[in-house]
Amino acid sequence: MSARAVGMALLGAVIVAWGLALVAPYDVVADVDPTRASLAPSLAHWLGTDHLGRDVAWRLLLGSRAFVAPALLTAAVAGIVGGAAGALAGWFGGPIAALVRYGFTVGASVPRFVFVLLAGAIFGAAPTVLAVATGLACAPAVGEGVRSRLDELRRAEFVLALRAHGVPEARILLHHLLWVNARGLVLRHLFQAFGFFLVVETTLSYLGGFGVQEPTPSWGNMLAFEFGIPDGNAFAWMAPALAIWAAVLGTALLGQDLGRAEGADGG
Amino acid sequence: MDELVAEGLRIDAGARTLVEDASFHVGAGEIVALVGSSGSGKTVTARALLGMIPFAPGRVAGRVAVTVGGVTTTPRTDADFRPLRGGALGLLWQDARAALDPLRTVGAQVLAAARLAGITPPAAELLARAGFPDPTRVARLYPHELSGGMAQRAAIAVALARDSRFLVADEPTTGLDPSVQREILAQLSALAAAGRGLLFITHDLRLLPGFATRVVVMDRGRTVEEATSIADLTGAGRLLVEATRKVAGGVL
Repeated sequence: MSARAVGMALLGAVIVAWGLALVAPYDVVADVDPTRASLAPSLAHWLGTDHLGRDVAWRLLLGSRAFVAPALLTAAVAGIVGGAAGALAGWFGGPIAALVRYGFTVGASVPRFVFVLLAGAIFGAAPTVLAVATGLACAPAVGEGVRSRLDELRRAEFVLALRAHGVPEARILLHHLLWVNARGLVLRHLFQAFGFFLVVETTLSYLGGFGVQEPTPSWGNMLAFEFGIPDGNAFAWMAPALAIWAAVLGTALLGQDLGRAEGADGG
Repeated sequence: MDELVAEGLRIDAGARTLVEDASFHVGAGEIVALVGSSGSGKTVTARALLGMIPFAPGRVAGRVAVTVGGVTTTPRTDADFRPLRGGALGLLWQDARAALDPLRTVGAQVLAAARLAGITPPAAELLARAGFPDPTRVARLYPHELSGGMAQRAAIAVALARDSRFLVADEPTTGLDPSVQREILAQLSALAAAGRGLLFITHDLRLLPGFATRVVVMDRGRTVEEATSIADLTGAGRLLVEATRKVAGGVL
């Protein structure tokens, strides 16, 4: 099976889970029932129950709510901020490019995870704050990719030809360069940003303190909550661990496929 | 009468003068050949005609006048040239493949050009007008899938779609095999017969007999001679003809 098919199946499953979770009639508190703690998978509980007797399958489904919408916000912020700055630098070149690249370099020199933790510590660890911070942390990579792609294309013969055909400058930049010639590159970075937010969120909620808190499920806190419980249900921690891995793999595979479809790798 | 005129065109690049004095005119329906050895300033002249090199002190001086439908404009700034590009003035490139967007199909690019001209015929129809025998197949191809001749034909299709009154063709047949060259020339002749003016830039005089209606010779940055046939050239043009004859044998 191709990387694209596997990637789309994995991410598709995540999105379907998210859609179901948005309408699911599941109460995270009411589901606690010590009489059915750590049950093995059965027809009634497909992935068994955790040590508080909560249905693991339901919580796995609901855990997708912890990251899907914020990760989309992360991708949007990375795409808009990085894309706009990169386009500006790549199109105009000269001192503007020098300035923007300086900004990218400074931005990229701060470890992304540290930056997100710092933002969370300063502005509070709301999912929106973490998502925007992660998006900003990913923006330099998007921007540098767009900048180098445009820098190499803006002097290309076909761009001169478009100009000679009377195509307006704004259309050359927005449509011919950004949309036609850089969207695969941008999309690949956005998949990476989406995957990175998932890693950020699950890591934070795994460590506790930041991120989604019990009893609201997140794949990270499910893993932390159940791992190492004596006589526990192994599915209760393996399922979220596998889900994290599968979702990140999905973003990576789709990103890789986009990179190949576009041929040259602009950075 | 539609006309494209260059008067005393001078192009400098830093301390070097690329073109000192280029003067010529192209009427509707005419094929004017601008000939000269490599480095005589033909290509920069073509670019300056479309305002791709800005008129500015130390860059481009002189005058370009474009008459279309009885209205004459003498563009100088990029803003003056912009409305003329495409509709009034078109450019055919030596490397037609590089002049096409590598990530879009030929059909999409031809259609985009047509849309700029305000028309939306099927891409296949536009490609058929440029002489493709199998336009629906070609419309789906990407530039890297085209041969050199097909790429030039696709570029002609774009120019046709854009419906430019004057076409500046910079060595459009260089690097193509002789039979493909003939086909492209026939296509360009048909464009001129339909009332478009063509400035055909080349270093290869063998292409001109039976094709060009007038020949303008460029030598070291100056237009030095003009004749209706290469047989009538006397000065620098004569030397070019003789040099060509030496390598090409009895072709001329």
